[in-house]
Amino acid sequence: MATSLPFLGYGLGLRNEYYEQILEQSPAVDWFEVISENYLVQGGKALYYLDAIAERYPLVMHGVSLSIGGPHALDFDYLKQIKQLAERIQPAWVSDHLCWSRGNAHQLHDLLPLPYTEESLYYVAGRVRQVQDVLQRPLVLENVSSYVRAKADEFCEWEFLNALAHLSGCQLLLDVNNVYVSARNHGFDPWTFICNLPPQSIRQLHLAGHRDYGDYVVDTHDHPVCDPVWALYQQTLAHIGPVSTLLERDDHFPPFQELLDELTKARQLGASALAGRALCA
Amino acid sequence: MRLTDWQLAFEAHLLNDAPAQDHGFAATLRGGPSLDVDTGLAIYHNAYRARLLDVLRHDFSAVRYWLGDDEFAALAGAYVRRYPSEHYSLRWLGERFATFILEHLAQEHGAPLAELARLEWAFTLAFDAPHGEPLTLADMAELPPQAWPGLQVAWVPSVQQLGCHFNSLAIWRAAKDNGDFPGSHAVEPAQTCLVWRHEQVCRYRTLEPAEASALTTMVTTGGCFAELCAQLAVTYAEGAPLQAVTWLKQWVQDGLLQYRAA
Repeated sequence: MATSLPFLGYGLGLRNEYYEQILEQSPAVDWFEVISENYLVQGGKALYYLDAIAERYPLVMHGVSLSIGGPHALDFDYLKQIKQLAERIQPAWVSDHLCWSRGNAHQLHDLLPLPYTEESLYYVAGRVRQVQDVLQRPLVLENVSSYVRAKADEFCEWEFLNALAHLSGCQLLLDVNNVYVSARNHGFDPWTFICNLPPQSIRQLHLAGHRDYGDYVVDTHDHPVCDPVWALYQQTLAHIGPVSTLLERDDHFPPFQELLDELTKARQLGASALAGRALCA
Repeated sequence: MRLTDWQLAFEAHLLNDAPAQDHGFAATLRGGPSLDVDTGLAIYHNAYRARLLDVLRHDFSAVRYWLGDDEFAALAGAYVRRYPSEHYSLRWLGERFATFILEHLAQEHGAPLAELARLEWAFTLAFDAPHGEPLTLADMAELPPQAWPGLQVAWVPSVQQLGCHFNSLAIWRAAKDNGDFPGSHAVEPAQTCLVWRHEQVCRYRTLEPAEASALTTMVTTGGCFAELCAQLAVTYAEGAPLQAVTWLKQWVQDGLLQYRAA
């Protein structure tokens, strides 16, 4: 069950805009999630702050370049660097995305969707097992936002995630905002997505903001979390129990206190949802 | 369509100059209730370009300051078409930008602009280079007298050395200060500029020809302190050791040097 997994509490994405305030203020943040690629360097300010913050807070590594579903061979040099960084900062877990971000010849630097077919499933599951063999730990994979779907889909996204977790032993990073964004764009019920995932595989939740263009929604991480996503988050926690929760912001960075206030909101809404769950139990 | 073929078609869509009118690929996709396939594909197409442009705008802010947003965007777009990203980290996207500028623009405009791009890339390289083991004044104080003549030093790993034939530093400085564009012109003789990182802060400075020559002797060619003093004696006579120590102290305080590996 989810409760048997380490519950880190409520965390923030570590961004260089806030390095100094984190060290000076020791804010009440339970943990930080770091973008792995930002620290695959040999020296400098980022590593300096990472080491200092690692001494004070639990960390989780979150990558954007694994391209687990890409048409290319797995990049074992990249994986070696990820493993070395993990040895350096001892993250609670290592995550990336269920997507592809590199094409045949070039890096595309986006979290591109996969067709949810049997071919994709067995291809990705095999690669997940290879990655886990290298990292010597379960890989945690996040559902991505998407703006097109393949007509060839043979599974719903949640069915694919279920099957992938079963076949490969990977765990899931459930991005509640991404579910909401994709649900709006593709016209499915976000709660159907979430309640059909295997609770025991969900290791972490993401919360973030997006831009609503009326006819569609774009996952931008540059706004506060919106009310429907907060509601979905509470529903999720009430359903699966305590899961480590991370608030992301990747652009239009507000004053640090605003992010801390938003994290407090996550903490309060999370506690409320979990208290309601306890009463029902 | 097999997975690989579908992904290659998606990649081709992203790399096309304009949002694809490739209805063969679009026909493999479905949209949502109010998000049609063409709009969905355009979101991915625009995001790919915007993300790369953002990185180049950040890494080459002085080049952008010189060219203005529109001309910079056109140059950056041409660059990523010519040299699509090949490294998983966007940190390396601009590695060939200076070279591309020389290839892409006429020499008269390209040479000073490429030099400015090289200067900005030097800061990027210095920013996250290995720390090395910078010498300190305390290290120097502890050096026994008999060890001084044979002292050999090397650059710390972050040091980047550039020959500047144009007033690139003045343009870079004006860009950082958001000042008026100072105009571009050649400088004679060319300046040697060092860019490096000291205590997590990137620094730069130009060298007078005599100091540049001394650093060449001591660092680039690996000469020892006694050889530096001998070289300086030609100009400074009995004041050569004092001049050598003065410079060495400055270089050490700047965090430029480490012991040369045996």
